[in-house]
Amino acid sequence: MSYTKPLPTPNKEDAPFWQAAREGKFVLPNCPDCGNIWFPPYLYCPRCLSPKRVFKEASGRAEVWGFIEMAQPYVKSFAPELPYIVALVQLEEGPIMFTNLVGIKNDEVKVGLKLQVCFDPVKDDFTLIKFKRRE
Amino acid sequence: MSTKDIARKVAIVGIGSSDYHTLYKNPDPTRTREEMAIDVMRQALDDCGLKRSDIDGLVTGGTSGYEDFGYRSGLTDVRYLADYPVAGRMCASALFSAAMAVHNGVSDYCFLFNSVAFKSLAMKFDMAGQYGGDAASTGPLYNEVYGMASPGALYALAFTRYQAMYGGTEADLGEIAVQIRNHGALNPQAIFQKTHTIEDYLKSRYIAKPLRLLDYCLVNDGCAGYIITSAERAKDLKQKPVYLASFAQRVTLRPQYVDPDFWVEACGVLKKDLFEPAGLTLKDIQSLSVYDNFSLSVLWGLEGFGFAPKGQGLQWLKNGGISLGGKLPTNTSGGMLAEAYLQGWNNIVEITKQLRGTADKRQIKDVKNILYYGLSAVPNGLIFSNEA
Ligand SMILES: [Zn+2]
Repeated sequence: MSYTKPLPTPNKEDAPFWQAAREGKFVLPNCPDCGNIWFPPYLYCPRCLSPKRVFKEASGRAEVWGFIEMAQPYVKSFAPELPYIVALVQLEEGPIMFTNLVGIKNDEVKVGLKLQVCFDPVKDDFTLIKFKRRE
Repeated sequence: MSTKDIARKVAIVGIGSSDYHTLYKNPDPTRTREEMAIDVMRQALDDCGLKRSDIDGLVTGGTSGYEDFGYRSGLTDVRYLADYPVAGRMCASALFSAAMAVHNGVSDYCFLFNSVAFKSLAMKFDMAGQYGGDAASTGPLYNEVYGMASPGALYALAFTRYQAMYGGTEADLGEIAVQIRNHGALNPQAIFQKTHTIEDYLKSRYIAKPLRLLDYCLVNDGCAGYIITSAERAKDLKQKPVYLASFAQRVTLRPQYVDPDFWVEACGVLKKDLFEPAGLTLKDIQSLSVYDNFSLSVLWGLEGFGFAPKGQGLQWLKNGGISLGGKLPTNTSGGMLAEAYLQGWNNIVEITKQLRGTADKRQIKDVKNILYYGLSAVPNGLIFSNEA
């Protein structure tokens, strides 16, 4: 069955990020001028406004900052999975991102849970970044 | 000029609001936002004894257009004009900007209103296209890609973090919704006038766990508005003036609008900027009016401003701490959880009633100063006072 949930439409800001994911790499924009690492992949460094960003592979290590168990079908294509977990994770490099967790039961999710990035090829041409328990 | 120069120089002199209860019970989708706003303007004019022709300032929120409103309402000669999106974060900003215009002589009498038809328009608060979002995008942090939607879910997520740091059960949290909603029972204009217990709260369904339906503000139609003028001119009008004692704002824009420190730092800044110019301290505040989009906003402000120790807000507010008769009566009209969701504007109307001494069964004895605050990407606050 085809994937029906919302997907990003990569543009010049984030195309390199999603392309790397397809290749099994989790990359983040780095600033060669001030050393900042940020997410989402804005074109310019939000700290010093440098336009010279470079994508570098990140550690893939993260922790659960907070989470919800969604009970309302706001996003229709997610309705069959209700109630499902959405986590806000803090990357070891600092930035935060929303994600879904792989292989972790709803009642096992807790703040501070240590995670490792994983890749979910939801379509032939699209791979989502997700996280699993770090062993 | 500092905000000290404007302290108590501008006052709310006239108020008006829709009968939220009736509008909710007998919905009339043909009733327009402009019609509701004109009803409110008529009330506010009657309330203070001004004529429409006295109004030379107009602040609109939620209409389909200020030109259309101006034409329909006969406000054709306006010197100060501002139009705001329907957004609670702008409630305090809109009032203060208009107050500056009045203080500086740009407008003598300014009418401000916010009019919404969320219920009739079947507005959804999923953030995709209809509330701060763009239907074509997937949210600032790819939210929708991962099934994240709605402002409430962001608050719920922050509460799991709060619980991990400080503890607090869902029943503890329920105290906020129960105490505020019970104020609605004393307000004939409130949409919900039922009293609740913690058991009722725990039986209400989750929307984004750990938040439940009763933690969420309402979705309704209605309008709230007020007329402001200088403290000098206010003396000649019918009602006891309610002075704007101070205003503060701290913009903290970020891709997800819940502040990772639960607004502690932002509230610290607001506190300094609000209380110093007003010449007041926390002890001078007898009542709080919180932008209660979600129950949690009450908790984080109590701790952020320092009414309650950090991490202990839920314990502090137990046993009726934020109820009428308690330590710090909060949202005495039922707020946006029970009275109506007018993006904070209804709270300002209730503040005015309290400080005039006309809040009937909800009246706080000897109330002198009320603090209003809203926490979002644009944390801001106002202090109102009935002493010149
Ligand atoms: Zn930089």
